[in-house]
Amino acid sequence: MAQMPALLPKEVEIQRLKKIWLVVIAMGSTAASVEVDNFVDGSLHQTSIRDSAFTPAHWWLYSHFVALPLGWGFAAIYDRKVPVLRGPNNSMNTGLKMTILGYLATMFTIGINEMWHFWFVEEIFAVPNHWMFNMGVVVAFMGALAYVVRVYARLVELGAETPGENPYVAEMYKMALEGKLYSRSIP
Amino acid sequence: MTLPKGFGSGGGGGAGSADVEKMIGRRVENMTGMITASFIAAWLATFGGTAAGYFVYPWAYPTPSGHYAFIVLTIIESIGYLFCVKVMEEGTTKKSNGIIGGVLGGVTVGTIAIVMFVGK
Repeated sequence: MAQMPALLPKEVEIQRLKKIWLVVIAMGSTAASVEVDNFVDGSLHQTSIRDSAFTPAHWWLYSHFVALPLGWGFAAIYDRKVPVLRGPNNSMNTGLKMTILGYLATMFTIGINEMWHFWFVEEIFAVPNHWMFNMGVVVAFMGALAYVVRVYARLVELGAETPGENPYVAEMYKMALEGKLYSRSIP
Repeated sequence: MTLPKGFGSGGGGGAGSADVEKMIGRRVENMTGMITASFIAAWLATFGGTAAGYFVYPWAYPTPSGHYAFIVLTIIESIGYLFCVKVMEEGTTKKSNGIIGGVLGGVTVGTIAIVMFVGK
């Protein structure tokens, strides 16, 4: 860790972190917009109450979820150019791993969900086909939060952003910089 | 300073300003045009998505719901666009407030027009 800051000129690293930040903002907007899917889903089922031959397929509704694993995958590819963000043993950043796996689980469940709606029962929030969908999103959000805090903390460390005034937030950034945001053994 | 292959003088002399420029590529504060084009493309794609509801599934996805989704999505995308440009230009002398205001104003007018005149 102590050697990492010397790997890149500061100005280069700030520019690269800001390019990553662009992807983060785009993915944040996309994550906020997929929430609208849930409203649309509710609208569909309030209009044609029961699942029937007239219920539109859900895959087109949730299809823009695919932008999330792909976008975060792009971030993971570009992330290699900022060595300080690497995960344990020079692997992919742990937060990025969680995010991509979480959204991939969600994508898998969209397919399962379509079969469920076709073969079994109608839309109920608690049915098992929704479990992995929702858990995938939660895991993805947890990973994304860890990664975003890591990037922001590094921008603060480089002097490109203002550190948080709230002591609890400042402590979170400090732990992120030390690789201890979630665990003292998994950076 | 350790530099990647192809950078520096080869003798461990560190990075010169030419090396730094080569490593940076296009600077983020000069990406406003690309960000603006991406935002407008995303907004039009959003209209395309809700239009599928207006015109393909009107019995299950009523136009008022589509308009509601379109307005909410437009707001989300606009906030993202604003953040992108402002964060990329912070700490520099570049200011694109005119472009941002023009684009967001145009999108607002376009959204209102779509909500008033498009759909069944």
